[in-house]
Amino acid sequence: MSAKTLTQADLASLVGDLVAAGTRVVAPSRTGVGPLQHLDYREIKKADEMTLDAGLPKRSIKELFFPPTEVLFRWKQKKNDFELQEVETKFQKTVVIGARPCDAAAPEIVDRLMNWDYKDELWNGRREATTIVALACDGQDKSCFCTAVGLGPDSTKGADVLLVPVKGGYHAEILTAKGEALVKDFGKRFGEAKSADEAGKFRETARAKVEGNLKVDPKPIRTWLDGHFEDKYWGEIALRCHGCGACASVCPTCHCFDIVDEPEGIYEGARRRNWDTCQTGKFTLHGSGHNPRGTQNMRFRQRVTHKFAIYPRKFEEILCTGCGRCARACPGGMDLLEILSDIGQMAGGAA
Amino acid sequence: MAAKTSTDKASFKPRIAAFVCNWCTYTGADLAGTSRLQMAPNVRIIRLPCTGRIDPLFIIKAFERGADGVIVSGCHPADCHYTSGNYHARRRFAVARDVFGFMGIDPKRITFSWVSASEGGKWAEVVNDTTARVQELGPFSAYREMEARV
Amino acid sequence: MQALQELARKLLTDKTANVVIGWGQGPRGPRPIFVTQPEHADRLIFDTRCVHNLATYLNPRRAHLVPFVKKAVVVKPCDARAVAGLIRETQVKREDVVLIGMRCGGVVRDSDMDGKLTEATVSPRCMDCPDREPKLADHLMGEEASAPPKGKGPDMIAKLDAMSPAERWEFWQKELERCVRCHACREVCPMCFCDRCIADKSMPQWIESSPHPRGNLSWQMTRVMHMAGRCVGCGECTRACPVDIPLGLILRKMTQTVEERFGYRVSDDPTVPAPMGAYRLDDKQEFIL
Ligand code: SF4
Ligand code: SF4
Ligand code: SF4
Ligand code: SF4
Ligand code: SF4
Repeated sequence: MSAKTLTQADLASLVGDLVAAGTRVVAPSRTGVGPLQHLDYREIKKADEMTLDAGLPKRSIKELFFPPTEVLFRWKQKKNDFELQEVETKFQKTVVIGARPCDAAAPEIVDRLMNWDYKDELWNGRREATTIVALACDGQDKSCFCTAVGLGPDSTKGADVLLVPVKGGYHAEILTAKGEALVKDFGKRFGEAKSADEAGKFRETARAKVEGNLKVDPKPIRTWLDGHFEDKYWGEIALRCHGCGACASVCPTCHCFDIVDEPEGIYEGARRRNWDTCQTGKFTLHGSGHNPRGTQNMRFRQRVTHKFAIYPRKFEEILCTGCGRCARACPGGMDLLEILSDIGQMAGGAA
Repeated sequence: MAAKTSTDKASFKPRIAAFVCNWCTYTGADLAGTSRLQMAPNVRIIRLPCTGRIDPLFIIKAFERGADGVIVSGCHPADCHYTSGNYHARRRFAVARDVFGFMGIDPKRITFSWVSASEGGKWAEVVNDTTARVQELGPFSAYREMEARV
Repeated sequence: MQALQELARKLLTDKTANVVIGWGQGPRGPRPIFVTQPEHADRLIFDTRCVHNLATYLNPRRAHLVPFVKKAVVVKPCDARAVAGLIRETQVKREDVVLIGMRCGGVVRDSDMDGKLTEATVSPRCMDCPDREPKLADHLMGEEASAPPKGKGPDMIAKLDAMSPAERWEFWQKELERCVRCHACREVCPMCFCDRCIADKSMPQWIESSPHPRGNLSWQMTRVMHMAGRCVGCGECTRACPVDIPLGLILRKMTQTVEERFGYRVSDDPTVPAPMGAYRLDDKQEFIL
């Protein structure tokens, strides 16, 4: 691992260099006017389209690797025969600039599932083509709890380069081979590292700030979840939940999908993979009409249990980066921080 | 997907889907045919029991599947075989027209008409009018471009 | 507030209601709470940040709330309109609900704001709300309220109406391109009460479930059509949408049409028939050849 300096001006030039080299650059970007403004990660062509100082985009970078809808293959019927058309699994080189650490960490967590039995070519293809330049953050608001799940506002997990804001630009930590390659290809934009101390202070302050939001130990929580499937807590906590799935849509780690066949004319069509979520009643509805997760209480229990017990058991990773998006997006006021803290207490006091 | 329509205006042949009720307009259209009236050949008729059975979703589906224009037609007020299906339809389409228009679908692409069983001539007019109007607007390429992005 | 808490305590104690659905303080501002014990009635609050339309919890689709049977709900005038809608369309029995009406002078856009009501913070749904107190209520509380501040900013509906169809198309394509088809807009809506939504039907599949431009457009056009004469303008769908699509614009446009053409204004009187289930012999038909 090495360190460099990247000034504001050099970062802007780097965006230009990358675009000129035919690389897709994705960064937080504000679009729309007035009340219709959005901050999203989206492809940019010029550095001034990038908005790095407006906090966490509403949606995560998940969709860069796992789009809300994608074609798995297309088919054409010819008399009694079918012709299948494969889809491209090679993807355009992409550099994400300014991914928040809670976003950068997520694809690495989901990698485990996408390569568990079946190796998902589409996910892996996009992962390989993408370099993530994360940006250390100083906490969005009181719903951030990355530090409680073993990450932090300066976490390097999943990042190829981590930028830490310092006066005039960024202190850049080069973390992986992909990060090294970026520095090698665009060497003239990176200067000698000289602000390690200042960066260290920024990181410390940010951590302290976020740590105050939630202090829990995920281990006893996992144990409690394993033993309290039928606890009455689930019946109380989820009453306000609408089962709308907004939480899963904005979540960087939720990755469930539905597979559908869609006709595109009479003799042709496509098989697609679309985002889905365990929060809707239809998710587990059987053809017989029976629904093993018949009420919202059960569905919400699934959300928490999958993230904090099932996924950790299978992959030794918590399926949550503590970004707090679910709490911000929830129209019903469900709050994962509160729930983790409740469970933490029931599991034997806060850590 | 769906139909490839020429984007060249001169050679453009509009594809128009007509949702008609069984009792009045379908019979009227039949009469127009047997009376050998001059009609543009662009209209495919889909017969339904009543305008009350025509969901605005049918219009959307027709555009999705390649139509450039849509006709919805049924019995005149007071003539509905089921007494009030057309009155309900009238309310529904009044709203649909505004909502679809607000979302950017040109209301000129959609014709609503009352054509009775004896109005073969009126049906020919509706068909010719609609075809001319859609011919003028050109193919609904916006819908097709949207599909190309899918 | 105290009156509200006292009433809730009484309703729970004498078993008039098995649950009082109201607002309580949550980590990010007021949020829905479900009070079942009289001693917890003091958790109830009401202020300008109480944006949620709690009528949505009466919707029979919420299987986990059905067992409460007798529910008391705290409602603002707009929420009462939704309750009336549910009664009008036989989804809720009037005798099963106790309505605690709150006088209302408007709410802010979202519950995590500080609650100061100004031109800039007022919720779009309050801008032309005529009701200061619900008529459909068993109890009426709160202070006399004055009209909410008029919001500022362009009238987007007028702006869109002035555009050409092609420009409007562009506008909506840009907005709908973000839709991920979570159907949150449907799930939170108090008036979306179908047991099985047409968007969930696959045989035949009328609306493609994929979040691509084609499916997204079909979905919103259909949803708005199904809301014709139903939508109470509570704005919950817009608030819930995780990608901030201005759904309220389409719904307001539809509501304007319903009002202009059929003289129907969504009210909290459940005895007025729903406009799409009714008709007049002389309904305007200038658009029909
Ligand atoms: S569960 Fe919530 S906090 Fe955790 S990663 Fe998902 S959105 Fe973020
Ligand atoms: S927790 Fe909130 S966002 Fe998630 S499904 Fe329930 S109501 Fe929707
Ligand atoms: S719409 Fe009317 S009743 Fe509803 S919150 Fe606003 S001012 Fe109050
Ligand atoms: S809530 Fe928004 S993103 Fe979800 S389906 Fe509705 S419009 Fe689409
Ligand atoms: S459509 Fe939206 S504004 Fe209308 S009642 Fe439903 S949630 Fe409220």
